[in-house]
Amino acid sequence: MTMLRPQSVFPLAITALGLGLLGLFFVYPLFTVFKVSFIDAQAHITLANYAKILSKGFYQQAFINSFAIGIASTIGTTLLGVPLAYCVARLPVPGKSAVLVLIALPLVLPSFIAAYALVLLLGRSGVMTVWLQAQGIPFRSIYGMPGLVAVYMLTLYPYVVLPTLAAFKAVDASMEEAGQNLGASRWRVFWTVVLPIVAPSVMSGALLVLIESLENFGVAFVLAEDRPILSIEVYRLFAGEVGSNPASAGVLGVSLILCTTSVLLLQRRYLSKRRFATSTRAAPPIHKVGSALNLLATVFVWGTVLVALVPFFAVLVISFLEFRGPVMHGNFSVANFQDLWNRSSRPLFNTVFLASAASLVAALVGVPIGYVVTRFRSRLSHLLDMTAMMPFAVSGTVLGIGLVVAFNAGWLILTGGWLILVIAYCVRKLPFNVRASSAILHQIDPSLEEASINLGFSPVATFFRLTVPLMLGGVVGGMVLTWVTLAAELSSTVVLYSGSWSTMTTVIFQALEGTGAGIASAASAVLILTTALPLLMVYRLLRKHQLAVL
Amino acid sequence: MAAIALDKIDRKFGTVHAVRDVSLEIRDGEFFTLLGPSGCGKTTLMRMVAGFCELDSGSIRFGARRIDALPPHRRNTGMVFQSYAIFPNLSVAGNVAYGLRARGVASTERNERVRKALRLVHLDGYEDRWPHQLSGGQLQRVALARCLVIEPEVLLLDEPLSNLDAKLRVEMRYEIRQLQQKLGLTAIYVTHDQEEALAISERIAVMRAGRLEQVGTPWEVYNQPANPFVADFMGVTNLLPGVVVSARGGRIEVKIGEALFAARAETGAAGDKVTLLIRPESLLLLPAQHGPPPNFASFEAIVARIEYLGVLTRLDLDLGGVTVRVAVLDKAPDHAVPGGRVSVGYDPARAILFPAS
Repeated sequence: MTMLRPQSVFPLAITALGLGLLGLFFVYPLFTVFKVSFIDAQAHITLANYAKILSKGFYQQAFINSFAIGIASTIGTTLLGVPLAYCVARLPVPGKSAVLVLIALPLVLPSFIAAYALVLLLGRSGVMTVWLQAQGIPFRSIYGMPGLVAVYMLTLYPYVVLPTLAAFKAVDASMEEAGQNLGASRWRVFWTVVLPIVAPSVMSGALLVLIESLENFGVAFVLAEDRPILSIEVYRLFAGEVGSNPASAGVLGVSLILCTTSVLLLQRRYLSKRRFATSTRAAPPIHKVGSALNLLATVFVWGTVLVALVPFFAVLVISFLEFRGPVMHGNFSVANFQDLWNRSSRPLFNTVFLASAASLVAALVGVPIGYVVTRFRSRLSHLLDMTAMMPFAVSGTVLGIGLVVAFNAGWLILTGGWLILVIAYCVRKLPFNVRASSAILHQIDPSLEEASINLGFSPVATFFRLTVPLMLGGVVGGMVLTWVTLAAELSSTVVLYSGSWSTMTTVIFQALEGTGAGIASAASAVLILTTALPLLMVYRLLRKHQLAVL
Repeated sequence: MAAIALDKIDRKFGTVHAVRDVSLEIRDGEFFTLLGPSGCGKTTLMRMVAGFCELDSGSIRFGARRIDALPPHRRNTGMVFQSYAIFPNLSVAGNVAYGLRARGVASTERNERVRKALRLVHLDGYEDRWPHQLSGGQLQRVALARCLVIEPEVLLLDEPLSNLDAKLRVEMRYEIRQLQQKLGLTAIYVTHDQEEALAISERIAVMRAGRLEQVGTPWEVYNQPANPFVADFMGVTNLLPGVVVSARGGRIEVKIGEALFAARAETGAAGDKVTLLIRPESLLLLPAQHGPPPNFASFEAIVARIEYLGVLTRLDLDLGGVTVRVAVLDKAPDHAVPGGRVSVGYDPARAILFPAS
C-alpha cells in the first residue's frame, strides 16, 4: 500500500535498462561459456567435452579439493565467527567500537595479499618457518589445504560475524527473560531460544563464505601450488601455456557457476527467513561475567581481529626489506619501491583509473536499480533483483572468459582495451551496489517521496530532487567501498588485461609467478595503502549510513 | 477548495477487496472523517484521492473536474502523513517552501508565503531550524504548514495525530479543526480512533472491509448506528440478543434473558430474533424503592460486577445469562452491591433493534 504507482514510466525504463545491460554484459557472456562447453570442433552439440574433462582424475580431484576447502573453510569460519559475534554483542569486551571497525577490514583488503604475506612468513623459506625449524619444530610450509583454509577463515570471517552480530543484538531482551522466567538456565536459553533465532543469519553468512572460497582465485593461486583447484584450472585451461582450450575451460566454468549459484539461491532463501528476529524493543543486556571469562573473551576477540590483520602489516614491513632474488635479507631498504617505480608507474595509474571509472559506472547503474527493486515491487523488478545479485556467485575468471569469448569477434569487439575491464568490474560490483543502495533506501521513509509528489514534483523530479540528495552520503560511501575492492581485483583482471593495461594486482600476480618477491611486496604495500586510506577517509560516512561492507 | 465526489469506487489487491463500490459526496469546506479498524480501506480510499493508489473502476471529482486519471503531483491536494514525512535534508523553511518551488513561485512571494504559513501554525521564527531539532508536535505543525502554504483544493490527513502523546493529540486536533475552518478548506481525515472522529468531524463515514457502513454526523453514527458493527465500533455498548414478544403501534417488547425490554421500531413481529442496542449511559440506575421517570421503561437485574473508572463507574448486570452494562457518573449508589438486585430505567426511544445476525 505504501508503494508508488508501479505503472509509471520511470521504473519501467530503469528495469529495461538494467535488464538490458545485465543481459548483454553478464547473461550473454555466460551463455557463450555455456555454449562453447557443449560444442565440439565441428560445431556440433555434444556432451563429449564434459565426458572428457569430468572423467580425468586430475579434474575430479579439483572438484574434491575445491569442495573440501570450501566446506572446511565454511565450518571453520562459522565456529570462529559465531562465538566471536556473541562475545562482541553480549560480553563487556573493551574497545568494542575499534573492534567493529577492524572486523570489517579483511573484507575490503585484498585477500590474496594476505595469502602472499603468509607465504613470506610461513612459506618454505619464510621468516617464521626458518625460525620454527631453528627451534626444532618440524614445520614445513603453509602451502596446501591447511594454509588455504586458514587464509579463508581469516579473510572471510567477517561474512559470518557481521550478520550474526546484528542478529544477536536484535534478539529482544524479553525473549531471554521469558525463557529464564519459565525456568530455563541461561545456557539452556542460549541453545533453545537465542541460537535458533540467529541461525538464519549465521547460515546466510556461512553460505557467502562457501561461495567466496569456491570461486576465489588469488588466494588459491598463491597457496595451492600444484594441487588442482577448480577456479585455477578454469584459468589454466583458458590461458594455459599449452594453448587456450575454451571448451574445457567452459566445462569447468559452468560446473563452478552451477555450484556457486545454487549456494547463492540457498543463501537468499535463508536471508528471507531472517525477518523474524528484527522486532527488537529492548536491546539485550551486556552480561556480567567473571574477570577470568572476560579476559578469555577479550583475548579471543582481539586476538582474532589482530591475527587477521597481521599479514597486511607484515607485507608493509617486509616491503621495506632488501630482497636478493626471492631471498629476504634483514636490511632496511626502499629498493623494492624503486624497482617497482622504475619498471613502470603505469599499473598504478591504470588501477586508479579503472577502479574510479568502474565504481562511478557501477553506482550510476546500481543505484537506480536498487531504487526500483526496493520501491517498486513487481514480478519484473524481482527478476531484475535476482539477476543483479547473480554476479556475486560467478567467479571473476569465468566472467572474464565469457567476456573474452563473447566480445573478441563479431559486431561488438571489446577485448584488448580498458573498456572490457571496466565492464567486468561493474558487473562484479553490481550486487554490492544494488544491495547497498537498497539498504540506504530502507532507511528513507517512502512517505517522504510521496510527500514530495503530493506537493507537486513528478516522480522523476522527486527522485533527482529529494531521493538522490538523501542517498548521496551513502552512495559516496558505497562508491569508495567499490573502489577499494576493485583496486584489488585480480580474478577477472588476469583474464582480461592486455598490453599496457596491466594493474597493480597483475604486477603482483606476475611477480609471484616469477621471482620478483621484492617487487610483489612493494606493489602489495602500495595496494594496501591505496585501499586503506580512502576507507579511513569515509569511515564516518559509512557509519552514518549504516552501510554494511557485505 | 472544492467539493469532492467519489462515485462507485472499487479496488482489489489480488484477492483482497480493499474498496468496494464506495460512493460519497463531501461538501465544499466540510471536515469529513473516514473511520474504521485497520485494514478497512480508509487509507486506501484517501490515497486514491491523493493519487497514490489506482482505481479499478469508479471516478473522483473535485468540483466538476474529474481528477482520478491525473498523476498525483498534478492534483493539488495537501497531504499530512502519519510519519509527517518532513524532509530531513531541508530546513523548516525549505520544507514549507517545497511545494511553492514545484509551482514555480518567485522567491520574494515564496518567502512571504512561507512566513505566513509558519505564523498560522505558531512556528514564527522557526524558519532556519532543522527537522532533527524539532519535537513531534512541532514536526506536525511543519507538515501542516507545508500543506497549507500551497493552498490545496483538498486537505488530506492520514492519522496525523497517532504519533503524538494523548494530551498533545487533543490540543492538535482542536488546532487542525480551527485552521481548516478559518481557511475554509475541504478536509478528509483518516483515523481509527472513534473519539477523535467524533470530536473533530462534521460528518463521519464508518468503513469495514472496504465498504461504507454508515455516513452521518457524529451524533447520528453514535446514537443512531446503522448496524451492530457501527454501534460496537463507536464505543462501549450493549448489543443484547433477544426475541420479539409483542409488536403493537411502533412499540415492541423484546425478551432478553429473563427481562422484558421496550423499544420503538416500525417493523417486527412476535417471534423475530433481534439484537437490541442500548448505550450504557442511556441506562439509569433507579434509587431503591423508586419507579422509573414518566415515559421510561424499566427492568430488574442482579449486579454481577462493579468497576470504578474515575469519571464513571461501570456495572455489569446479569439478566439471567445475558450481561448488560450500565455506566453511572461518579460512584455507584450504595444499594448497588455485587449480588444485589437493582432496577434500571431507560427511554425506549434510545433502544434500537436490529435483526439478529
